[in-house]
Amino acid sequence: MAEISTIARPYAVAIFNLGKEKKTLAKWSEMLSFATAVSQDVAMKAYIADPKVASGDLEASFLKICGDKLSEQGQNLIKTLVEYGRLSILPAISHAFEELKAQDEGMLEAQIIAAAKPSAAEVKDLVKRLEAKFGNKIEATVSVDPEIIGGIKIVVGDTVIDASVKGQLQNLAYTLAA
Amino acid sequence: MQLSTSEISELIKSKLENFSTSSEARTQGTVISVTDGIVRIHGLSNVMSGEMIEFPGNTFGLALNLERDSVGAVVLGDYEHITEGDTVKCTGRILEVPVGPELIGRVVNALGQPIDGKGPVNAKMTDKIEKVAPGVIARKSVSQPVQTGLKSVDSMVPVGRGQRELIIGDRQTGKTAVAVDAIINQKGQNMTCVYVAIGQKASTVANVVRKLEENGAMAYTIVVAATASDSAALQFLAPYAGCTMGEYFRDRGEDALIVYDDLTKQAIAYRQISLLLRRPPGREAYPGDVFYIHSRLLERAARVNEEYVENFTKGAVKGKTGSLTALPVIETAAGDVSAFVPTNVISITDGQIFLETDLFNAGIRPAINAGISVSRVGGAAQTKVIKKLGGGVRLALAQYRELAAFAQFASDLDEATRKQLDRGRMFTELMKQAQYAPLSVSNMAISLLAANKGYLDDVPTNMVLVFESALHGFMNSKYKKLMDGIESSKDLAGENEKAVEAAIQDFKATNAY
Repeated sequence: MAEISTIARPYAVAIFNLGKEKKTLAKWSEMLSFATAVSQDVAMKAYIADPKVASGDLEASFLKICGDKLSEQGQNLIKTLVEYGRLSILPAISHAFEELKAQDEGMLEAQIIAAAKPSAAEVKDLVKRLEAKFGNKIEATVSVDPEIIGGIKIVVGDTVIDASVKGQLQNLAYTLAA
Repeated sequence: MQLSTSEISELIKSKLENFSTSSEARTQGTVISVTDGIVRIHGLSNVMSGEMIEFPGNTFGLALNLERDSVGAVVLGDYEHITEGDTVKCTGRILEVPVGPELIGRVVNALGQPIDGKGPVNAKMTDKIEKVAPGVIARKSVSQPVQTGLKSVDSMVPVGRGQRELIIGDRQTGKTAVAVDAIINQKGQNMTCVYVAIGQKASTVANVVRKLEENGAMAYTIVVAATASDSAALQFLAPYAGCTMGEYFRDRGEDALIVYDDLTKQAIAYRQISLLLRRPPGREAYPGDVFYIHSRLLERAARVNEEYVENFTKGAVKGKTGSLTALPVIETAAGDVSAFVPTNVISITDGQIFLETDLFNAGIRPAINAGISVSRVGGAAQTKVIKKLGGGVRLALAQYRELAAFAQFASDLDEATRKQLDRGRMFTELMKQAQYAPLSVSNMAISLLAANKGYLDDVPTNMVLVFESALHGFMNSKYKKLMDGIESSKDLAGENEKAVEAAIQDFKATNAY
């Protein structure tokens, strides 16, 4: 995982810079998610991994499947990836690209996990507070998980704000065991 | 079901009282792989190098490698329950161990947890295990002696308080014996001792602890043990943990002695960690910073001046210097001191006590090679009386070695050469000493004086040690006052010297050898 994201990063940065220059970030995002979907298909995955398939054939069939969904530059990306045998890391590239794009737009994804479904006003208030804390726009997705018993848990990137009853019970257990 | 020591209701009560229920914002990551105690983690974007990280199941780790997309960490303790995908949290803390006088008499592991079954260590304080050594301003030169109680060490390679004296030799040459004797002799010397066992068999550690107990040395000793079955991470950390416990006393104007037994094993543990973390190997497959792990550790052994102690204790302790004396142990393979780790540690320390297999097998124990054992700073700290009387020992032994090589070929020797050879033989014999039998300053002085003044010249070589112990017994009973005088003044002034000589003559008149 770590190695894959290290390999994927230069590709994503290159795509991002190109897209930003030509103002085609949205188009790239679309192309990458489509190509990723294609590459993740079970039959396609096996085909990519098959050492008996010549790279020319792989390139041709991949581009044919994608059809007119890819621009010329998108096709060039596929060609480059096939040449270096990196078609399998397309999902990582797409992920890294989306991260760069979100960062550029000043957006942070926040996962709000609550024990009971919060009201729209509560979410709005929470998002406002998170925006103040992180200094960025927050795009929140709310999910309900009764497992955490009570309270909420917010995940923004690597940072986790744990205000759940489950987390506190766990802490209490650790404190007593130590 | 067994009751654990942490389940005492008072303890639980205090834990509940201090438990805070505030929500916490922490950086989090996920485990990618677990290999031989090394964990790779994705995420943890704000982690610091050397920070403690928390795994599920109340297990902690140490972040060592901060890479672009992952963090390499070692697990402190068991890692079998950690699996791919587990959540890892930052703690924002550097690893700490308990410190203080409560640890004295205890056997703890590298994290300061008791392993001697005597209940919890109720230490009031904890301190970071990695600290920067005091700078030049805070230091004072070494000027007080550490009496090891070994004739050969105290007379030829004296150790001062705050010195780093390496004990080096092959396996089975008595390295630990020298260190343990030094600890045993600290009884009543206002010295707290720390014995750090690294990568040794648990049975060996238990033996050392038992010997220390038998000799009453556990009353002022802390044992930190990372045995061979502990993880490499704990073996690597044990010396730093022990050093922190010793520094507690140094910083408060007291004296402490720390034995690292042995640093070769620590380097090996560190090599294992480094290779598993995929750091590039260098000479003998050690990583590039193997010198630094030892230099930063041994640099913390120092003598600090009065101002430092006063500042540190915020004026509570005034006019006292503190010291931490280190006796690191290094094991060589077939006497090869030019291997990587031995040369490193030799260059870091202020001298070395070199032990040799040949001497050990020849019955010369402690098997100290007087020719290449040196102490670079200890001379200034040597007890006056030993300095005065022990000066000749080194010279006599050096001349003896030189002549002995020649004398093998010559059939008849002139009187002067023969006398020198006899003298050398006598001194070699006199330097022998039994284990767990350290000598007091006065006894040592009597032995050296008797040898210097020629009272041992007519004693057969094989009777020298018998003569010596009989002389000690005689002096300690009949001339107790004189001996006490030497013991307290640590000096032998003119008339006292004459009195001692007269006493030895008295002894020789009543005993025949």
